[in-house]
Amino acid sequence: MDKVKVSGLKKSYGSNEVLKGIDMEVQEGEVVCVIGPSGSGKSTFLRCLNLLEEISAGKVIVDDHDLSDKNADINKIRENIGMVFQHFNLFPHMSVLKNITFAPVELKKQTPAEAEKQAIALLERVGLADKANAYPASLSGGQKQRVAIARALAMNPDIMLFDEPTSALDPEMVGEVLGVMQDLAREGMTMIIVTHEMGFAREVGSRVIFMDGGYIVEEGTPEEVFGNPKNERTISFLEKVL
Amino acid sequence: MRIQKKITGFMVLLLFFFSFVGSLVPSAHASDAKKTYVIGTDTTFAPFEFQDVNGDFVGIDMDLIKAIAADQGFEIKIQSLGFNAAVQALQSGNVDGVIAGMSITDERKKVFDFSDPYFEAGPMMGVAAQNTTIKSYEDLRGQRVAVKAGTEGATFAESIRTKYGFSIVTFDDSSQLVDEVKAGGSVALFEDYPVLAYGITQGNGIKTVTPKEKGGSYGFAVNKGQNPELLKMFNDGLAKLKSNGQYDEIVAKYLGSADAASGGNIDSEAGAAKDSRLALIWQSMPAFLKGLGNTLWYTVVSLFFAFILGLIFGSMKVSHNKVLRAIATVFVDLFRGIPLLILAFFIYFAIPQALGFKIDPWLASILTLSLNAGAYVTEIIRGGIQSIDKGQMEAARSLGVPYGTAMRKIILPQAIKVMVPSFINQMVITLKDTSILSIIGLVELAQSGKLVIARTYQTFDVYLTIAIMYLIVITILTKIADRLERRVSRG
Repeated sequence: MDKVKVSGLKKSYGSNEVLKGIDMEVQEGEVVCVIGPSGSGKSTFLRCLNLLEEISAGKVIVDDHDLSDKNADINKIRENIGMVFQHFNLFPHMSVLKNITFAPVELKKQTPAEAEKQAIALLERVGLADKANAYPASLSGGQKQRVAIARALAMNPDIMLFDEPTSALDPEMVGEVLGVMQDLAREGMTMIIVTHEMGFAREVGSRVIFMDGGYIVEEGTPEEVFGNPKNERTISFLEKVL
Repeated sequence: MRIQKKITGFMVLLLFFFSFVGSLVPSAHASDAKKTYVIGTDTTFAPFEFQDVNGDFVGIDMDLIKAIAADQGFEIKIQSLGFNAAVQALQSGNVDGVIAGMSITDERKKVFDFSDPYFEAGPMMGVAAQNTTIKSYEDLRGQRVAVKAGTEGATFAESIRTKYGFSIVTFDDSSQLVDEVKAGGSVALFEDYPVLAYGITQGNGIKTVTPKEKGGSYGFAVNKGQNPELLKMFNDGLAKLKSNGQYDEIVAKYLGSADAASGGNIDSEAGAAKDSRLALIWQSMPAFLKGLGNTLWYTVVSLFFAFILGLIFGSMKVSHNKVLRAIATVFVDLFRGIPLLILAFFIYFAIPQALGFKIDPWLASILTLSLNAGAYVTEIIRGGIQSIDKGQMEAARSLGVPYGTAMRKIILPQAIKVMVPSFINQMVITLKDTSILSIIGLVELAQSGKLVIARTYQTFDVYLTIAIMYLIVITILTKIADRLERRVSRG
């Protein structure tokens, strides 16, 4: 079953067209890694999937909801799509626990007690149970991003979007975040990850998409894309980063 | 709808009933009780009406009308409305008579009936007490003189200006004239005689060297054709007071000697028991503290409304809707672009006159301050909100949290920390700006100082005290705010 179905997606800022027509699907349980040079439109593409960017043309269907429909209840749809940002975007005025329980409680998904119980379980899962009462400012980058993942998971989403989740981290902290993501993948979460971590894409991704100039240039299994790239631009990009 | 009509009908019926009953009651009483007349007057026009140290209204007008009422056997209720408001209230029938140092003019005679003149005013020149060079109008050649706008003194000075070759500078306040002359900016002042005389009895450092000029006289006024019995009682009472010497006593009480009423010599020691400077400030302290209380009250209330306005227009400014943004921008540009003083004049004088309604000074003041501060608070809130990283809103929205909730629970709590120092700044500015509203008669700290100066002419001591009081209050408030700010940024 298609979790995500994108057809003819275009996005422009004024006269600057960033996405020039994207078609792709994501199956349930797939881990799709989106790679490509900066400015290729991969982050914009990801942000169109939960409407953080408005869609200029084309269709985006997530979980059978048509995001391009003006009357779609976007808040309801977003509850089902978790997102993790490059710069974490934790709420600095709330404790770690409150960061995680805020949305489920505010949106009446759970009672405060239920939400706290779940938050502690999530924190254990990302290895930060002891930081429940800490404030984001006292955490390292890796810890922050793990809390951000727990926060997204607290809404029990069907799909998780990751927008360069390790790009802002010191190298020694990349591993702990990727570890959590790998666990998630193993549990069968549907994930779309914009990343520069080629090793991770190769190891964990079930499919790799290479974007350049607003198009999907090449896609396939990690073996196909990394082992035997067909397109010129893919080859030259991979030569530079590997 | 039907129910509403029924209720309205019932109310009208009720109104008729009460007005009917109401019309019966007074006539039943009138025969055996003294009739009470409502008398309108000015707020400060020393020596005719002004507040004494206890805040009671005293002055020649006040003593005169009370003595006449006692003599003729009627009751009075004084309403201190300000000169223009008192005249308007007389025309609209809200008061029965006006006694407010009102000159009898042909123009006014068309709408009012005046009593016999009870005081001969007319302009008079004053010079600094130690001045020995100015002895006549001739000596003014090439010099500068000070007048107060709209007075007979101003008209008179203008009429002899070319003949004696002097220049004129105009002020708004009698005490400013005195200070101008004492400071040497002008060599002489022209002022309505009783005002000048009263100032001299208060030891304001001015003396007269020329006789009083012929000018208007003051009368008690009723609406044309109305309350003739009141007018008659006033005239009868006045005649009696003049014959039995009570009139002279009243005038002497304020102007030093009885013949002062006709422009005779003025006794500069009449205010006699000269209090020490400290005692004067001490006596005036209750008035100052009351003014300070009003200043704080108006600051708090205005800031409250400014904050609400700021929240509304600030949210509009950061919204994605072009129309809302445009409306908020117009609001800010308008009320930030108009000087506070002009805005106050506009709200208090211009709009009510154009649209034909009345507005109280307190309401006009709160409107003025709220709109002005509201424009600045809007910008503070906009700046605060926009200083928060976009990622915060995106993170909240990506979880399914609606815009409004995200704004209230995620953005504003962080933005407020950024805004606190600017809010404190705005609070201090608004507190100081209340002093500008003294121009429309709001009795806050600055105005309470002006009122005391109008009575005592102690400009330096009073303004020094007022300035120190502002300083103390603002320093205390800033210290409290600092502490609050530290707590907010920690928590």
